[in-house]
Order: sequence, then structure tokens, then C-alpha cells
Amino acid sequence: MNSRLARIGVMSAVLAIVLLPIYWLVSTSLKSNREITQEGTLYPHVPTLDNYIRLFTEKQFGAYLTNSLVVTFFSVAVALVAGAMGAYAIARFRLPFAMERKVGLFLLTLRIVPPVVILIPVYLLMLKLGLLDSWLGLIATYTAFNITFCVWMMESFFREIPVDLEEAAMVDGDSRFGAFRRITLPLAAPGLAATAIFAVLVTFNEFLFALALTATPRAMTMPRGTATLIGRIDTDWASMSAAGVIGALPIVFFALLVQRHLVRGLTMGAVK
Amino acid sequence: MANGGTQSRKYRLQGAGLDLALPYLMLAPGLLIVLGVLVYPLWDGLRASTKVYRYGSVVADVGMQNYIKLWSDPQFLNSLWVTVEFVALSVTFEAILGFALALFCLREFRGIRLLRTILIIPMVITPVVVAIVFRLIYASDAGMLTAISEWMGGGQVQILGSPVKAFIGLVVLDVWEWTPLMFLILLAGLQSLPHEPFEAARVDGAGNWRVFADLTFPMMRPVLAIAIVLRTIDAFGTFDQVFVLTRGGPGEATRLVSIYGYDTAFKFQQTGYAAALFVTIGLVVLALAFSAVRLLRRVDAS
Repeated sequence: MNSRLARIGVMSAVLAIVLLPIYWLVSTSLKSNREITQEGTLYPHVPTLDNYIRLFTEKQFGAYLTNSLVVTFFSVAVALVAGAMGAYAIARFRLPFAMERKVGLFLLTLRIVPPVVILIPVYLLMLKLGLLDSWLGLIATYTAFNITFCVWMMESFFREIPVDLEEAAMVDGDSRFGAFRRITLPLAAPGLAATAIFAVLVTFNEFLFALALTATPRAMTMPRGTATLIGRIDTDWASMSAAGVIGALPIVFFALLVQRHLVRGLTMGAVK
Repeated sequence: MANGGTQSRKYRLQGAGLDLALPYLMLAPGLLIVLGVLVYPLWDGLRASTKVYRYGSVVADVGMQNYIKLWSDPQFLNSLWVTVEFVALSVTFEAILGFALALFCLREFRGIRLLRTILIIPMVITPVVVAIVFRLIYASDAGMLTAISEWMGGGQVQILGSPVKAFIGLVVLDVWEWTPLMFLILLAGLQSLPHEPFEAARVDGAGNWRVFADLTFPMMRPVLAIAIVLRTIDAFGTFDQVFVLTRGGPGEATRLVSIYGYDTAFKFQQTGYAAALFVTIGLVVLALAFSAVRLLRRVDAS
């Protein structure tokens, strides 16, 4: 009885700590600026959707959302294809000078370095190539980051698949690549899904490079667009909170939808 | 192709003809993209770090001067110190809270799935939005703390205006956002521990505390260490949340190295100096990661 009470107590405390801040965001987004700053109500007394409507009619959130979806889709798709092939090569082949292991280690090292370290040179590169404030510049950058991650994660999934299956396919006349495509890849599908999900999450949420590489609604992503609403002196709390909800909603919805794969991806590498 | 016999599986697997080139062909696309978009800029950044820029063009070649200057730049040293404090405090709290919660949830009970689902939310929300959430909590006019305080008859609550409180506010944000990750990793670790030692200890009449100190904690040490290393590396590069929450202020109270580097590059246009700063940070993090791996190997071996 006592432990049950403790359980309920801890559960409610955790739920409150996690959910109260989110409640406040949603609740603020449904108030008018007057109600927010002057009345300080605990819940919206006069709920309104004006803040949301304003985001799309006056603040170009439609464009931000489109940019985010396009950039995320392409950079994750390309990284998955290139990353899965690279990971397979590293997991299966033995090259001269243990090259495949060195490549793997090299990519892992790149993954450890905080992205902010190469912000300036990437900015200079995109400046030189005329790719600032464009989809392509962002897609190229995110694809590269995602590849370092996909290779690392997919490699361990491929290692878990027995080689015998591929050998059998090759005995039956499949080419090496054919065996990879028809046998190994489908078997690694859950791993591929977990990798893709994690990549989508990280890419959709990325802010630093979007901040440096984009400047107009032509290429600004959701997080970048949201940050434009943050004023220095006078803050438009109503718009900002609505933007927060819109910015987080797709990714939270997505994450809850695929949460089983997500947990696997988030904790992978730490625990076998 | 499948006639390699018993001699070497590797030969048979690699086959002949086009198949010989296959590993390289499969590695090529990924490597080329990474080389072009990450490694070339990294190299470029190293070169830039030895130069002085004015309005985006090189005006002087200064060798290692930028690197030397860093260590006598009080603003850099301060930002480094703030970062170390931030990382140490946040990760410590996350590890303790995450571990406690994981221990608590070890036994399956009704509601644990709901708890896990809810706990995913903080770490998947866009970091920029997390910062907005906390601005909405801390704001002196529109904030949740102020609203609650006024509801209870108190006055406005000031958080982001005071250096110490703003810093603590940032740590709280990070703990809110990342304790769930610690929890998930540690829970998975706890669930993968063998049962026998625990049953044996119970039979011997060991109490909760003894079991934890003699069994659970020592057995969990590797997982705990990995989780802490992962979080530490990640926290070192924190940028988004600070940028939105405080922009490094008030004063320099929450100015992490990432923010200082960003401002140096994009606000003050000292590209070369900022590049040197980031190279230094990269080296620090790599050194941290490699010594951590060394340490883990030694723990594993003993």
C-alpha cells in the first residue's frame, strides 16, 4: 500500500513536471497578447485561434513548413541510401590496409565533433558556391551530417544479419550487390526505419546551420522561422507561443507515432 | 563466384570482376559527400584559423597567433568556464535523476508505458521550442512562475534578468530536456542485468541499500559512464537553447563557448579568430571523447 502511494506520487510529479510547461505554451498560444501580459490568467479566458491564423497569413509559416519538409525529406533520403551502402561495405568487406575500419572510425570521429566547429567554413563554402539561403545548401549540409550518423548506426544492424543468407543467394546466382539489395536490405528494414526516424528528428529540429545559412522565407526552416519572432525588447508572446506549438507539433506527433523505434534509436550504442 | 571452397570466406565473398570494385563503389557516394561538405570545410577552417579577416576577406596571415590570443582573452576564458559549469551541473543532475527514476521504474507496473511515452516529449521537441517554453515560464510579465506567484498573492518573478538565476534557469531547461534520455539509457541497462546475483543477495538477506551499493551500482557503472560521456559531449555543443533563451546574457552569465564563437564570427566578423576558437573546442571535445573511451576500456578489462 505504501509503495503504491509512493508510485502514484512519483508518477504524478514526473507527469506534472513534463506536462505543465507544455500546457503553459499551449494555453498562452490561445490567449490574446493583452490577456497574456496584463491579466496573467492561468488558462485562456477568451480562447482564440487568431495567433495561429496570423502565423500563416502574416508571418509565412506555410513557407517555413514547406522548406522544412523538403529539406528534411531529401537530406534523410539521400543519407539513407548512401549511408546504408557505406555501412554495408564497412560491415562486410575486408579491404587492404583495413581501410574499411579506418573509414568507419573516421566517420565516427566526425560525428563526435560538435557541428558548431565547422559552422564557419561551411558558411564560407556555401557563400563561395552561391548556395546561401537555398534548399540545396541546407540539404547538402544535413545530408553529410546524416551520413556520418547513418553509417555508424546501420553498420551494427548489418553485422547482426548472418552472412550465410547472402552466400546462399549468391550460390543461387545473385550478384554481390543483388544479394545486398534483395536479401540483406529487407532484413535490415527495422534498423533502416529506426535510423531514418532518428535522422528525421535531428534534421527537422536543426537550428544552428539554418540560422547561419538561411536569411529569408525562401529557405528558412521551421526552427529558424520561429526564432525570427523572438524580439529583443518587446516580445510578441502570443505569436511566439503559437509558433512554438506549430513548430513542435509535427515532430512530437511523428515521434509518438513511431516511439518504439525511436527508443531503440535513442538508446542504441549505449546499451546492446 | 561461389567456388571459393574452404580456404577463405573473404575471398569467396568478394568474388571477382565488378564485384571486386563493389566495396569501393558502395563507400564512394557517402564518402564523397562527407569529404566535400564536412572534411573540406574542416580543412578550410584550419586554414582560416591562421588568418585575420576584415569584412569577409583575408588581410593578414598570422600563423598560430589566433590560438595564442585565445588563452589571454578574458571573454573566451569566461565562456569556457561557463560551459564547463553548465555541462558539469546539468549532466550530474540528469544522471542522478535519470538513475533514480530508472530504478524506480524497474519493476513493471501499470502506467509505466504512459510514463515512457510522456518522457519522450521533452527530448524530441525542437530545442528552439524548448527554449520558447522556458522563456514563457521565466518571463517576468507573461511567465508561468509570475502567474502562479500572483495567483498565490505574490509579485512578479524575475529570472532571466539576474546572472545567477538565468544560469540556473538554463541548467533547469537542460535537465528538463535531457533527463529522459538518461532515464531511457539507464532503464535499458538495468533491464539487461542478470537476475541471479540479485536473487542470491536477497536470499542472503541483503537490504535495498546493500543490493544497490554492492550489486546494482557496480554492474551499472559501464552503462552509466557511457551515458554520461554521450551527454557531456552533446552538452558541450549546446547552442540553440541559449541563443533563444538568453542570447548569452545577462552580461556573460550564460554565454557558452558556442555562443561566443558564433558572435565572434557573425556579429563581430572576426572570422579567423572564431575559426581558431572552434578548432580548439573541437580538439577539446575529441580529447575528452578519446580519454573517455580509454577509461571505459580499462574499466571493461578489469
